[in-house]
Amino acid sequence: MIDDTLMLRLRVEDLLFEEADLLDSWRLKEWLALYTEDAWYHVPPSDVDGDTADPDTSLFYIIDDAVRMRERVSRLSKIGAHSEHPRSKVRHIVSNVRVRRDGAVIRARSSFIIYRSKDITSDAFVGHYIHEIVERDGALRIAGKKCVLDMEALRPHARISIIL
Amino acid sequence: MERITTGIIDDPASNRFLVPRRVFTDRAVFEREYAAIFDTCWLYLGHASELPAPGSFVTRKVARRPILFTRDRDGEFHALFNACPHRGATVCRERSGKSPAFMCLYHGWTFGSDGHLKTLPGSSGYPEGFKTDPQKQMVHVPRMERFGDFFFISFARDGEDLATYLAGAGDYLKLVSEHSASGMQIVGGTQEYAIRGNWKLLSENSFDGYHAACNHSTYLEYLKSANGALSATPLAGEAFDLGNGHAVVEYSAPWGRPIASWVPLWGEEGKAEIDGVYAELVSRVGAPRADRIARKNRNMVIFPNLVVNDIMAITVRTYFPTAPDYMEINAWALAPREESEWRRKYRLYNFTEFLGPGGFATPDDVEAIEKCQQGYATAGDALYNDISKGMIRSDAPSFDDEAQMRCFWREWDRRVTAAKVMADA
Repeated sequence: MIDDTLMLRLRVEDLLFEEADLLDSWRLKEWLALYTEDAWYHVPPSDVDGDTADPDTSLFYIIDDAVRMRERVSRLSKIGAHSEHPRSKVRHIVSNVRVRRDGAVIRARSSFIIYRSKDITSDAFVGHYIHEIVERDGALRIAGKKCVLDMEALRPHARISIIL
Repeated sequence: MERITTGIIDDPASNRFLVPRRVFTDRAVFEREYAAIFDTCWLYLGHASELPAPGSFVTRKVARRPILFTRDRDGEFHALFNACPHRGATVCRERSGKSPAFMCLYHGWTFGSDGHLKTLPGSSGYPEGFKTDPQKQMVHVPRMERFGDFFFISFARDGEDLATYLAGAGDYLKLVSEHSASGMQIVGGTQEYAIRGNWKLLSENSFDGYHAACNHSTYLEYLKSANGALSATPLAGEAFDLGNGHAVVEYSAPWGRPIASWVPLWGEEGKAEIDGVYAELVSRVGAPRADRIARKNRNMVIFPNLVVNDIMAITVRTYFPTAPDYMEINAWALAPREESEWRRKYRLYNFTEFLGPGGFATPDDVEAIEKCQQGYATAGDALYNDISKGMIRSDAPSFDDEAQMRCFWREWDRRVTAAKVMADA
């Protein structure tokens, strides 16, 4: 007998693993389709409390709304996106998933390690995701995600040129 | 004084300006730069707004040294070497905050915000007068001066004062301060990253108008397709030599500026607000200066490593090398204190659109810098970088020439060749 909470977590895990797989295989348009029409994608800097920081009042690394997410995907498809041409090898590891219902929104927290490898270097991004997920026509869609880096600084990294 | 030769070829008669690639890879050049540049020049420490009240402090590294930047209880600013006079441990181990005193974790020596030794545990083991001995206090950085709200330090005991050092760059720091009637502030949140490339490549890149069309083609395409983010204003302007190795490019551009260049993306409501901001500027500084502040962009490098780019937002950026092929960068957003929530939100939205490790442009700058550094492995056979663009012009240098970089390189060459502290490589 699987109870509702466990079932929900399994469904959310499936979604997060699907997202990771699409990003690792550079299927970015399909990645975008996991999100709602008014979604957002934020990456706060590491010298503020990433869980509570507000992109309207604090400098972030990334504060994408749906338009900018679409443009980010479009940019990464071009050879003029020099930092990702040729493309990096990318691997997202997602774990420690915890899920909570908050009205119509499902809030998920999880841990990530993301490797980006290109040329002579591999950089690891370590942190946690905060996903806001909603039900649409019986399926789960992502309404927004915040990627909080559990790092002292983005070093020796130079860039977040992939999607975290 | 022993002179050395950097190998830079600066020959206006034949329109040649060539920089040997070994200056980006050579360990001896790197060490000489620390002695001749970072240990003597005025270096940016921080902004007054980062220490809003008595007791406020910030720790940061400047030219490899840990610095504790504080305000004491009278509100005076101090730049202290963040090392205990007893055994040398880092005294303040937090990034920022507010505290009346700092206790060393090792033996509990405790210091005031002005660096004086307040508490000496086990003082009966020391002679009378020990606690007030100047050598038992935290050490002040030899010189600290402010220009407006920008604080600079120098590790050299002697030398020109800050205003003299800044030369023509001072007026540009004033200009960026005049965006606000009530004062500028550093917005919370710091972009802290690194580039696997030589630090001088970032000085060049930060005011390189020539690379935009190729290196940032996807950013310009984004502005076109993102529904009204682009105006009809062309990219056009000039470069100015500000003296002492500082230079600026000042130019018009098609992107929106929260200091009063509206783009359709911001809507009619935004237009009314931007019009109001412009009117306030005109009444405060007069129409010609207001026009310059609102409509012109400025990328400025204050020698050696302070960038103040007043573009689609304002970034203050500084960077230090830890090796010839690696630098650490800190970048902040500067904004008018009094701006509305709407304008602050768009400013930060604008900032992250172009600037920083997650922006639509900086990652490609980084790629270019790192690829240059990798290319310098060929330095034995491919000797020089070409920095001559625009030398043939008899009129003012264009923003997309390389005159501003030649200002940087001439000062770099002057300082490095004059260094008496280093033996020849």
